[in-house]
Amino acid sequence: MFRQRPHLLWLLVPLVLFLLAVPWVNRVDPVVVGLPFLAFWLLASVVVTPFAIWAAYSGDRRLMARRAREER
Amino acid sequence: MNAAVATSVFGAFMVLTVVLGVLALRGRGGRGGITEWSVGGRSLGAVFIWVLMAGESYTSFSYLGGAGWGYDFGAPVLYVVAYMSCGYAVGYVVGPMLWSYAHRHGLVGITDMIAHRYGKPWLGALTAVLATVFLLPYIQLQITGMGVVVSTISYGTVSLNWAYFVAFAVTTVFVVVSGLRGSAWVSVLKDLLVIGTLAFLVVYVPLHYFDGYGDFLHRVVHERTAWLTLPGHGHSTMGTAWFISTSLMNAVTVVIFPTTVAGYLGARSADTLRRNAVYLPAYNLLLFVPMLLGLAATFVVPGLAGSDSNLALFKLVVDALPAWAVGVVGVAAALSSIVPMAVFMLVIGTMWGRSVLSLVPRLRGETRQKSAAQAVVVIAGGLALVLTYAAPNTLVRLSLISYEGMAQLLPMVLLGLRWRRLTLGAALGGLAVGAALVCALVFSGHDPVWGVNAGIVGLAANLLVALALTYAGLGAAGARADERPDGEVLADDGVRGAAVPGGTETTGGAPLA
Repeated sequence: MFRQRPHLLWLLVPLVLFLLAVPWVNRVDPVVVGLPFLAFWLLASVVVTPFAIWAAYSGDRRLMARRAREER
Repeated sequence: MNAAVATSVFGAFMVLTVVLGVLALRGRGGRGGITEWSVGGRSLGAVFIWVLMAGESYTSFSYLGGAGWGYDFGAPVLYVVAYMSCGYAVGYVVGPMLWSYAHRHGLVGITDMIAHRYGKPWLGALTAVLATVFLLPYIQLQITGMGVVVSTISYGTVSLNWAYFVAFAVTTVFVVVSGLRGSAWVSVLKDLLVIGTLAFLVVYVPLHYFDGYGDFLHRVVHERTAWLTLPGHGHSTMGTAWFISTSLMNAVTVVIFPTTVAGYLGARSADTLRRNAVYLPAYNLLLFVPMLLGLAATFVVPGLAGSDSNLALFKLVVDALPAWAVGVVGVAAALSSIVPMAVFMLVIGTMWGRSVLSLVPRLRGETRQKSAAQAVVVIAGGLALVLTYAAPNTLVRLSLISYEGMAQLLPMVLLGLRWRRLTLGAALGGLAVGAALVCALVFSGHDPVWGVNAGIVGLAANLLVALALTYAGLGAAGARADERPDGEVLADDGVRGAAVPGGTETTGGAPLA
């Protein structure tokens, strides 16, 4: 899957942010803009996620264009 | 007086809901067989799929239960945010793959796909029965949730038992009449109300009860510290290992959940789903609000215990706002029960219509399948209602294992669709071992086990057994007897050159291969 679509690696970004990072961000301090750190981290991750998936998507757009040329 | 105002607002919106469902069918003359009813004729555009998928995942659990968990425990409730965000990343790959597989072979659901992949109609029937067992508790939970809402906003005038019946009746009539297209329409109404009420409350509550946000957050950080990290307040077993394993398991399971798949298959094209996966995660910002309100409620209405904590949000609203606003919040909460419940029932009906009842020769054909499926919907809803009265606690127990049980279908579906060598016998063996292990752990009170979600332990065992049996050659002879080429059996990545994918459409009610 990743051989033909290496851009899908972008999809690992949310998995790293929401899962792998949790043991290191599970804390109240530092408080950022009033939010305890864990909540701030997860909120920031929610904001980042659409951009990561968009990066994967733009890779697929290029792949679609290439496949369309090959079909013609 | 309060009761009359709140109840009238509520009643008016319920009528509007059913009217919307009927209007959704206008111009389509109620024609169309099971494909139109169950997957909206596969013609819903990006916007509708967006709201439908956001709608079915944003249930009354996220609305009321989220605040309740926030109230009781705090941080653990954020696993919902984690798994839904990761779920969109997984769904980005899986959704288009399932869409183009179903589109190519004229399939309408996950059980249909399993039957096609392994060339065994009875296997579709078996998984349909299993999936129904895992879905019924969810319907029952929604009936209970909406019943509590109806009873609360009538300020107790409508008894709980009648309220359950109202919930069942409104939803069943709605789903039989309107199908997936109607659900998508009502989803729009629901999202407007949910977003509207949450946005209002998130501004109003800190101003009304505290000296603005600074003061509110300051008090939360200093007086509710235990709530702000895992494992949360109280002696909860929900630590970081639980958080990670549960979020991971739910993220991969949500993409084959029969209701999610119904949303996928309703899309107009595979690319619609990819674009949605880019935008939908933004919706998760909303999930922080119920938790925040739950924390606010610990200051305003302290001392709610047991299942009463689910009413934390409501108590806050009743305390803060006039009766008509209580009615509106009630409608938002009720619709967050109705939309998912409608999709659950629709999915059960479709699964049975296609995968179980179609094995009866007399019931073949698009229109007959639809009538049979609608009959199943009424029966399933009725069953959930009866169980709500007769055995309220047993089913809550079952609902614990519904996600963890559904996860056991993963190897059979996803691995099976990509890897020809996986044999039917090996997949069934893995499923049996995984499901048995999950049931044993959950019912003996060992979930989480060593701090890890029991479902993912079962899934690991399931996968190991399936791989071992495949390499041991179990059922290899049977698999070789299936002479269809790989392109016919397996799913591709769903990335097409043309904007609108081609392929031969066979939705003309062809009986299962």
